Amino acid sequence: MINSKHIDKLRRIVGKENVLSTQEELLAYSYDATNLWRSLPDVVVLPTSAREISAILKLANESGIPVTPRGGGTNVSGGSIPIKGGIVLCTTRMDRIIEINKANLDAIVEPGVILQDLQEALAKEGLFFPPDPQSAAGCTMGGVVAENSGGPSCLKYGVAKQYVLGLEVVLADGSIMKLGGLTPKNRTGYELAMLFTGSEGTLGIISKLTLRLLPSPKASKTIVAVISDVAVAGETVTEIIASSVLPSKVEFVDNWTFEKFRGLLPDAILDKSQVILLIQVDGLPATVDAEARQVVDICKSRAGEVRVAQDQAEADRYWQARSAHFSDISSRTHTIVNEDVSVPRDKIADFIRLSQESAKKYDVPISFAGHVGDGNFHPVVLTDNRNEEHYNRSLKCVEEIIEIALSLGGVLSGEHGIGLEKQRFLKKAMDPLAIDIMKKIKDVLDPNHILNPGKIWEETSDEE
Amino acid sequence: MKSSPVFEQIDRFKEDLDKCTKCGFCMSSCPVYQEERIESSVARGKIMLIRALLDGELGLTDGMAEQLNRCTLCMTCAVNCPAGTHVPSVITAARADKVKQRGLPFPYGIIYRWLLPRRRLFGWVVRLASWFQGIFLPKTEGTIRHLSFFLAALGRGRHIPQIAPKFLRQSVPEINNPPDGVAVKCTVGYFTGCMTDFVFPDLGIKIINFLTRNGVKVVVPRGQGCCGAPVFLGAGDFDTGRKMADSNVRAFKDLDYIITDCATCASAMKDYAKFLADNEERKQEYTEFAGKIKDITEFLVDILQLPPSAYKVAPEFKGKTVTWHEPCHLGRYLGVKEQPRKILKSIPDINFVEMPDADRCCGMAGTFSIYFYELSKKIADKKVASIESTGADIVVTDCPGCQIQLIDSTTRHGAPQKVMHIMELFE
Repeated sequence: MINSKHIDKLRRIVGKENVLSTQEELLAYSYDATNLWRSLPDVVVLPTSAREISAILKLANESGIPVTPRGGGTNVSGGSIPIKGGIVLCTTRMDRIIEINKANLDAIVEPGVILQDLQEALAKEGLFFPPDPQSAAGCTMGGVVAENSGGPSCLKYGVAKQYVLGLEVVLADGSIMKLGGLTPKNRTGYELAMLFTGSEGTLGIISKLTLRLLPSPKASKTIVAVISDVAVAGETVTEIIASSVLPSKVEFVDNWTFEKFRGLLPDAILDKSQVILLIQVDGLPATVDAEARQVVDICKSRAGEVRVAQDQAEADRYWQARSAHFSDISSRTHTIVNEDVSVPRDKIADFIRLSQESAKKYDVPISFAGHVGDGNFHPVVLTDNRNEEHYNRSLKCVEEIIEIALSLGGVLSGEHGIGLEKQRFLKKAMDPLAIDIMKKIKDVLDPNHILNPGKIWEETSDEE
Repeated sequence: MKSSPVFEQIDRFKEDLDKCTKCGFCMSSCPVYQEERIESSVARGKIMLIRALLDGELGLTDGMAEQLNRCTLCMTCAVNCPAGTHVPSVITAARADKVKQRGLPFPYGIIYRWLLPRRRLFGWVVRLASWFQGIFLPKTEGTIRHLSFFLAALGRGRHIPQIAPKFLRQSVPEINNPPDGVAVKCTVGYFTGCMTDFVFPDLGIKIINFLTRNGVKVVVPRGQGCCGAPVFLGAGDFDTGRKMADSNVRAFKDLDYIITDCATCASAMKDYAKFLADNEERKQEYTEFAGKIKDITEFLVDILQLPPSAYKVAPEFKGKTVTWHEPCHLGRYLGVKEQPRKILKSIPDINFVEMPDADRCCGMAGTFSIYFYELSKKIADKKVASIESTGADIVVTDCPGCQIQLIDSTTRHGAPQKVMHIMELFE
């Protein structure tokens, strides 16, 4: 499909230093942060401008070459894996922060800016971009928006889509489209920028972003509560929010991750507990103090141990332990199946209980962590795909957990997206009419299906 | 599986290789990834390449060799890894297996296998080359480069160091006693390293005088040689590295402490047991040896526990503003972060300012800066910006390798800061 002439043309478009084609370089673009998906591209192209993206897509569209957009490649859906080979179009070299406007509370950035680099630049100005996926040290802004990412802060601040004011998008035929503007209010026509937000690279390639920002909170406090029982943890969260405190984060880890908290919290309490809740309140100092007191009072009646971090260094240690959850669990076993369901907050305790019963039924180890404040959970089943029998049991368990979440009024993916990883469940989780409309939109914007083919919905033979 | 006999060293670090979950926490802070923004440059990519090597999906091609070399081993990835993957160990091991299978390219093979292990011969070659230096290359004051890459560096556009007219070993006796009236508190061996011996002998003399003045008897064993860092860490030649390790262990056998003024030498020597021990006996010897090694600032602060009054600033540096570059090998490898800062903060005669990202790699990384000079310079550019932002008069560090990179890069940028070893501040 792709031949040396195509590669020569790509070299002419972006310069030879921005085309990667050795076996070693290609291998490094064959994976993302998921466990099992791997597929080699034929070539990797690193454009440095929208014009270059446009020329690449024109060439690909005319020649029917698949193009898989990629940023940092830290996604956990299989979404950036070039499952059909062809071109990986990687935006990491478009990494300029073009403007930070403190008066307007907005920033204009290129898609390859690493989220953490943006956060550091904004912090110097007293500003912040709230969505905080755990992959902040590697994920790029194009990906944050194309995956509509979230993170712990979503409880109070919402997900990426709440912070997109405008986008520049390159369409499959190479045309460059500008959407939205600089103002938080904009009622001009359809919200087309939202169509590309969360589109997982299937509709166009984001080449520039205008982001809405917030002033950094003046103060924050972290409260840690060690709780004996999962259901009690769920009730605690419900009561905190019912008491009119909206924490910026409420995170949950189960005892699979307690090792990371040893030395920070008393062993005797950890040994007889199931859950750690990490709660952060932020705002003006006086508000933070009052809210922290209220959270502590609510936790105290239920938790074996409640701590308020005395300084930022102590708070950082708790949050680092929380961040380590995913890699900690992953390193315990050969294969993990990591889910990303979201359930209504008042169903959290039911969800965990039913999922645990399911894991018991299939006899597979399961761990829970997640953004419990907004009901977004990451149940992780620990398995080994080299042991077919165990792996199949694990997949069945995961399938049942998804059914449980859906039956409780939840959704298939809270923040990871569908990609390859969850497409087999899409039909259960989405109205068939809606899936059909998505396909029609795809046909309009990318009639030759060159952009990130094979993602989100399962292809039927007539679509290929 | 065709792994075990072929990838003997990688197999020893299989656990680290398996730990990586590709989460990407290593990305934004990697100095090489910051410049190149490509996946094969960052720890996660290296891990996947090495896994592909073990699986037989990729071979030890030129392309693979280049990717293995394209790392400063700064260890930032390991510090940021939530799974605790020590990627630099895996890369070092992979370099060793590469050398076993492919050998060392010219001229590195000659330098590493024949020259560095032979201290006296090496000294002669250095002396010889220093005569040519004046003929072929511009003598810009202060612009120097890593000595152990001396021959390889010829013709690469960097300035060759001013070789000292008299080497340290020719300038000081083997035994250096405290002056009359000063009681002997303890005896230490001084590992001088190639740089201090050949290029910065005055630094060595200063350190010996400082120590003897404070009641330390300093032995400079004649049998010591190169620490081996460029040979076994940089180039992956473990066999030659082992010979060098053995002779250093022998040279310092009867001493309680081994003092170094070079963080790279210290951490390389502490890593003998990890990489070079091929039997139990060596493992024990190397481990005992490692336990005796102390960086000079660590020794002064933790062992001698000198009061601030012991640090007498040389008259020409009094009242100057000083900033500190933390070498990767000192902070991340040896865990010596507070001791030099404690010294600098305690001296009333200077004004200490912390630079932003003081612990960020300077991009020197030995062989790396020869293979990838342009990349090394870009990494250094960020360091220079940090240094300049402090407005300091002097930047001090604790590694002659970093010192050379900082001299080269501040000179390139016309930055006004003088680059020195921390011990050069004192009388």
